[in-house]
Amino acid sequence: MTRPSLFSLTLALPLLIWQLAFFAVPLLFLIAISFWTVRNFQMMPDLNFGNWERILTRGTFWDAYARSAILATASTVLTSVIAFPAAYAISFKLSERVKQWVIFVLIIPFFTSYLVRIYALQVFLSDGGIINAALGMLGIGPFGMLNTTFGTLVGMVTLCLPLVILLQVFSLNFVNRDLVEAAHNLRCGRLRTVFSVIVPSARVGLVIAALFAFILSFGDFVSPLYLGGGNPPTLSILITDITKSGQQWPRAAVVALMMIGTLLTVAFAAITYAYKERGK
Amino acid sequence: MNMQTPVKSEAIVRLEGVVKRFGEFTAVERADFEIGRGEFLAIMGSSGCGKTTTLRMLAGLEDPSEGNIYLDGARVNGKATWDRDTPMVWQSLALFPFLTVQENVEFSLKMRGVSTAERIERARKWLDKMQILEFADRNVSQLSGGQRQRVALARALVTEPKILLLDEPLSALDAHLKVRMQAVLSNLQKDLGITFVYVTHSMSEAFSMADRVVIMSRGKIEQIGTPQEIYHAPRNRFVAEFLGSANIFTGKLVEKSGDLWQVETAHGRFAVKAGPTPVKSVGDTVSFVVSAEKMQISAADTGVPGLRARVVGEEFVGASAIVFLETDAGEELKVQKSHGELASIDLHSGSPLNLHWEPEACHVLPGE
Repeated sequence: MTRPSLFSLTLALPLLIWQLAFFAVPLLFLIAISFWTVRNFQMMPDLNFGNWERILTRGTFWDAYARSAILATASTVLTSVIAFPAAYAISFKLSERVKQWVIFVLIIPFFTSYLVRIYALQVFLSDGGIINAALGMLGIGPFGMLNTTFGTLVGMVTLCLPLVILLQVFSLNFVNRDLVEAAHNLRCGRLRTVFSVIVPSARVGLVIAALFAFILSFGDFVSPLYLGGGNPPTLSILITDITKSGQQWPRAAVVALMMIGTLLTVAFAAITYAYKERGK
Repeated sequence: MNMQTPVKSEAIVRLEGVVKRFGEFTAVERADFEIGRGEFLAIMGSSGCGKTTTLRMLAGLEDPSEGNIYLDGARVNGKATWDRDTPMVWQSLALFPFLTVQENVEFSLKMRGVSTAERIERARKWLDKMQILEFADRNVSQLSGGQRQRVALARALVTEPKILLLDEPLSALDAHLKVRMQAVLSNLQKDLGITFVYVTHSMSEAFSMADRVVIMSRGKIEQIGTPQEIYHAPRNRFVAEFLGSANIFTGKLVEKSGDLWQVETAHGRFAVKAGPTPVKSVGDTVSFVVSAEKMQISAADTGVPGLRARVVGEEFVGASAIVFLETDAGEELKVQKSHGELASIDLHSGSPLNLHWEPEACHVLPGE
């Protein structure tokens, strides 16, 4: 290892300042206030472990924690499974020219605010909404979709899909085409090649795409509230509930720190798994 | 139309008027040849000549646009690569980086539903044969170029096919390792007695290993024959130039007495000893080659009749040297002689020399 030059340190400076000001310092502050005390709706600096004890011994917290984890996992699996065939087709079956257009089209959802898109989905999912109206013409329904877990998942998957497809496409683009032909040549049929050669070859990118879906879904506030109804709450809804009731910012900080800890663990595990090599 | 040597035994592969087009581009233009059982056949040519496309059609990775391909007597047009027994070794080797060495070798056995125990046994046998058993549990990325080569061969041969296709497998290796792997491949092919079809742009690889060589250029087969046949009797100007001969003369056949011909060229009249193959009559245009080793060289003022040319430069090739010359008309000529033979000759750039040769040193290009 050579020591980084003054020049490269200068280049890293803006990022360093940004991360310090908007990530490291707030995080440290968050850790600090999780030990503060609230008295008469006033926060006071303290070293009070009561907030941690109070939250971590509550069933409500663990219920919300499990709910968030399950929803995020379901959204991750669903998004990855829905995205993969599309990403595969884009990467392997389209010409370079068409591929560029499809990637452009995939970026379009990011033009509209997530909240606006979720309001639009309410119109689709509500009891008298567009989907139920269409099903009604076929003589089925209506199905209650708004304010259900299904509604939450629809929102989360909609949020994650474009990003996950893009990440999957980019990782599939890097799969060595010779490997695919070699597999065929060694008697591996088309479908089997997808699972025994293409997926393992693109593993790093596919895992990172899934990780993004998990991170976005686990911390999502909008879909669980506006499409899932917000009750029973997920962790992010729990945080707003706690802050609203009696200025309990310290307890909300505990919930937030538990979420950050969970995401760090999941991300670390996912990346370790993604880069794990076979053999000695 | 090609000068064909009959295959040494019964054919395992037969190409019948095979054409391959990609849109407007014709990659292979009417390939007609057979590959014998147990033969080592090299397909040689520069990049874009259609050699790899031909190999890929044998592997079932491309389908011919026209014509028929027969493998072991059966027509295989349209048959997918996974339904053929034509394993291939890729230029990039295409080893699976997410599998260990042993798992790579087991791959095609697994695809055929061979039991785990048998799979392990057969894979280990091949790893042993290729002298890489000690690396069985390693990741492919930790092996050297030569070791990876051996894994690729073991992976392709583990099913004991009748034919192995190789697409420039040695091009990534350094010169020393290349020669060593050539010996490995040659011995392997002799031991197994199976057919090797070997695509390369390297004349030294093709000529040192192959029983027969197919020379291709711009989708067309220029010549098929043993390395000796091609070397001593190139069929046309392309093959002669591809093999590095520079001394090609073209003229009009003015007199025939038996196989001793008189050819009138821009440089004067030359006596040419024609072999049995070329069919030409007086008045026809004839091209002939004089190999660089058979050219005689002397100082310009010795009075021996011959061709005058000026020295352009000299290149050392081990025990001999190649002298590059140019005629007044700008034609390039090459003479290869030992250093001793050249010692008494002034080889300064621009100095005039006299070139001459025996009629027996000439080879008439039958395809010109």
